[in-house]
Amino acid sequence: MGVSVDSQFANKAYADQIGVTFPLLSDFTREITTKYGILNDKFPVAHRTTFVIDKNGVIQHIDREAEALDPNNAHAACSLLEHRKEQ
Amino acid sequence: MQTRLRMMAGAVLLALASTLAAQAGPLKVGDKAPDFTLPDQNGNKVSLAQYLGKKNVVLAFYVLAFTGG
Repeated sequence: MGVSVDSQFANKAYADQIGVTFPLLSDFTREITTKYGILNDKFPVAHRTTFVIDKNGVIQHIDREAEALDPNNAHAACSLLEHRKEQ
Repeated sequence: MQTRLRMMAGAVLLALASTLAAQAGPLKVGDKAPDFTLPDQNGNKVSLAQYLGKKNVVLAFYVLAFTGG
């Protein structure tokens, strides 16, 4: 899922343009971005961050800023979780 | 008297521990992900809790729509 401080309507237009099928969530009040500790203190937007959360709600992997541009590490973390499930 | 002192010390420790927990700083691997309920692009409410016990979740915070981010 994606999250940003955009409105639901901006996210709808964005989702249509880039063709995503997963939820793009709107954190317009910045409450969740703040709760996750990644609100930018210079501009009222999120720091680019990817969290991989397992089925128990525990964070298993975090990519911050430039790391989060490359989805390979998050993908590897997901594969690891899937593999763990099969065991 | 000693029992009362021990109880007081316990209460102080408890207060300290909860203060520290509240100031734990940025989230790290192994932490419980804070729950949320937010509207998706179609107005459906999505919460982390609805995936618990069912699916792993990738939560990608991006800077702004239409910025390549």
